Amino acid sequence: MAQTTFGGSPVGVLEALRQLRRQAATYQGIWSWIATVDHKRIGIMYGVTAFLFFLAGGVEALAIRLQLARPGAQVLDQEVYNQMFTMHGTTMIFLVVMPLSAAFFNLIVPLQIGARDVAFPRLNAFSYWTFLMGGIFLYSSIFFGGAPNGGWFGYAPLTEKAFNPGHGIDFWALGLQILGISSLASGFNFIVTILNMRAPGMSLLRLPVFTWMTLVTSFIIIFAMPVLAVGLFELSFDRLFGANFFNPLKGGTPLLWQHLFWLFGHPEVYILVLPAMGIVSEVLPTFARKPLFGYPFVVFSGIAIAFMSFGVWVHHMYTTGLGPVANSAFGVSTILIAVPTGVKIFNWLGTLWGGDIRFKTPLLMALGFITMFVVGGLTGVTHSMVPSDYQQQDTYYVVAHFHQVLFGGSIFALFAGIYYWFPKFTGKLLDERLGQLHFWLMLIGFNVTFQPMMILGLLGMPRRIQTYPTGMGWDLWNMIATVGAFLIALSVLVFIINVIVSVRRGQRAGADPWDGRTLEWSIPSPPPPYNFARIPVVRARDDFWHHKYREDEAGRPIPVVAGGANGHEEEGHAEHIHMPSPSFFPLIAALGFPIIAYGFVLADYALVAAGAVVLLFGIYGWALEPASE
Amino acid sequence: MDSPVRRFWVIGGWTFLISVVLNFASRSILVVLSGPWGLLVLAAVVILALVWGAVLYIVFRYRHRPGAPAPRQIHGNQPLEIAWTLAPLALLLGLAGPMIGMIIEQADRPDPAENPLQVRVIGQQWVWRFQYPQYTDSQGRPLETVGRGTEPAELHLPPNRKIDLAIESIDVIHSFWAPRLGGKMDAIPGRVNHLWLVAEEPGEYGGQCAEFCGLAHADMRMRVIVHDSQESFEAWAREQLARQGQQAAR
Repeated sequence: MAQTTFGGSPVGVLEALRQLRRQAATYQGIWSWIATVDHKRIGIMYGVTAFLFFLAGGVEALAIRLQLARPGAQVLDQEVYNQMFTMHGTTMIFLVVMPLSAAFFNLIVPLQIGARDVAFPRLNAFSYWTFLMGGIFLYSSIFFGGAPNGGWFGYAPLTEKAFNPGHGIDFWALGLQILGISSLASGFNFIVTILNMRAPGMSLLRLPVFTWMTLVTSFIIIFAMPVLAVGLFELSFDRLFGANFFNPLKGGTPLLWQHLFWLFGHPEVYILVLPAMGIVSEVLPTFARKPLFGYPFVVFSGIAIAFMSFGVWVHHMYTTGLGPVANSAFGVSTILIAVPTGVKIFNWLGTLWGGDIRFKTPLLMALGFITMFVVGGLTGVTHSMVPSDYQQQDTYYVVAHFHQVLFGGSIFALFAGIYYWFPKFTGKLLDERLGQLHFWLMLIGFNVTFQPMMILGLLGMPRRIQTYPTGMGWDLWNMIATVGAFLIALSVLVFIINVIVSVRRGQRAGADPWDGRTLEWSIPSPPPPYNFARIPVVRARDDFWHHKYREDEAGRPIPVVAGGANGHEEEGHAEHIHMPSPSFFPLIAALGFPIIAYGFVLADYALVAAGAVVLLFGIYGWALEPASE
Repeated sequence: MDSPVRRFWVIGGWTFLISVVLNFASRSILVVLSGPWGLLVLAAVVILALVWGAVLYIVFRYRHRPGAPAPRQIHGNQPLEIAWTLAPLALLLGLAGPMIGMIIEQADRPDPAENPLQVRVIGQQWVWRFQYPQYTDSQGRPLETVGRGTEPAELHLPPNRKIDLAIESIDVIHSFWAPRLGGKMDAIPGRVNHLWLVAEEPGEYGGQCAEFCGLAHADMRMRVIVHDSQESFEAWAREQLARQGQQAAR
């Protein structure tokens, strides 16, 4: 049917695709990666891509720190500096922490719920390719007159055509739009996966906490991203077609942008940090050899955070003059969000209490998360206090605060996850010595970088200034922060070496190197394409642990003879397991987006039409493709 | 795995790190404790010290020891959960009252009976412009100071008198901020925001645009000059008005 729809030459294209697809189904060669719909391969591609963007964002951070190391420096001129901090923020949020979390959703969730793949495998591939296209599109702005320079928050009217005539902001608005499509697709996919694909007996209150936090995060994504999409559409309409949503000279309202952006932007903070909290909630019980303390409280505080995150956005706007009533109300709602966050921290401490704590790198990273994140939380409470925020707003104190949350929090936890689950997907353990070196260098580098920024903020140094005069008392702290940034860079280098060394000749990991608790440790490392030869039947929270241990009267675990490894695994059924076939159409559909976006940026509507044709070809091919051949 | 050397590094490392950070924190306190939010910061640092202390204690006390019995599998404790939900809630809500009081106090514009000095603050890329509508020249134009290039505009103020600032912008969003005189307020095109302050100590203060406003955002500074007396301020205003008149005549 597809052939008759598309006529002459597409028939040849479709035939070629069909042959490539058959080849890809063998799991051999580069094409098998490009056409893959396997959640584990997609997860690895997400992880590697996000890490490459992490290096790009890191280099931008180093450039910023070099410029600020000394007063009056001219390492970067004003224009380049503005591009650097815009791209650093945009990259780290949309191209690093979100996709790194998505990498873990992909890798871990199906294994933790006892499924063979996600609910919509091709949609999953589409999410990845759309993310990649969005990232490449955003960075390609460098070749069209310069990167975006309006800050990651893109405040109108500075981002309007009148004040920013270049293409940079168009790339930013349309690039984020593409990335939003990717996030929405994966948000829906994981909600359906977690609600519908759970193994028998895996009730919601037996779900591993990482999977719970994935579910909660996915709901935040599908409610928050459309708000950003609306804001970005309005901005693009202003810029491309002369609309005046945000242009005060024609009756538009600049503050509308801020409301839309922060109504997305604050839930976004929890999109970035809830998956990290999920990872920590997996790592701590494993290395303390105790179940998570207060499981239902940890889960429900995550849900509470998700709800509350939509009611605090005005705390980014205290100084915009919304008046004492709005400021008081949002001050109180912001204060309250600290409560569920505190509950989580106390429960993590309760998990460690009385445990048998083994200081492996994942645990150290998780401890780094707790100790650094709590600083972020407490400084957050100081921001919620409106009169105090009148001073802190837009200073380096804020910069220090959110790095304490997003680096001290998210990045430490994501590294905990990498060290924890690396053996599951490569079959090799990451080197423990290098891992600990990485951890200590990163923890010290982090503190040397960001604690001085707290002081700089309190000394009155505003954010986003390309340079500062000497004699403000800022010189020393800035120099220290720059030294710290290079320590962080060094620690990342150690990590890269660790990965290379460990993949080549790392210690072999069995199915269960950490004496884990959840289902992913019950299958071989790396898992076979079908994950579970037989779908497990779940009888308890931490089901796999209960296969390995029973409890004596005092509540202490006693190994079960012949329990444990391969508890769920029986080889031999593999060839009868039906797995979804690979497909090129998700990639083809995703290719349509940047073509459409280039068309709009360059005002070349033929290109827009061509992109739309590619997108439609991808979607129709996808819809009409036989399930397997 | 649990060699003494290793234990030394793990525990010593944490202790070192935490003392370094506490040192930074205590320096921050010195900056802030003088302000009205000293207690808040103190509470935050106490909570921080408690959490970090708990982490240090727990990882030391419950570190893996070869041959020790496996840990008891404790799943939670409901009274404890209720306690550590309600205690922070009470603490935080306790902060809400004074916070709202201060918000309202700061939001009230000065009463005309208090005879505040009115200043119109106008942000533009990338200089400040200050106008004093109570002081006009012969043609009825207000006294005005404005920055030129990277030369910052001067905001002259009398001491110990309420200053009623009306803050606006002619292009993009800026934010008026003189850190040592008070909080900041955004200058947003299409609307007028109000902020009041009182400068108690005569002298010269720095100030700077706090909202990213484009290319030369870093250059958008101001100098705030607080005169010794109302008379000295008046003298400056007269002189400035005369100069303004000469420039207009030329």
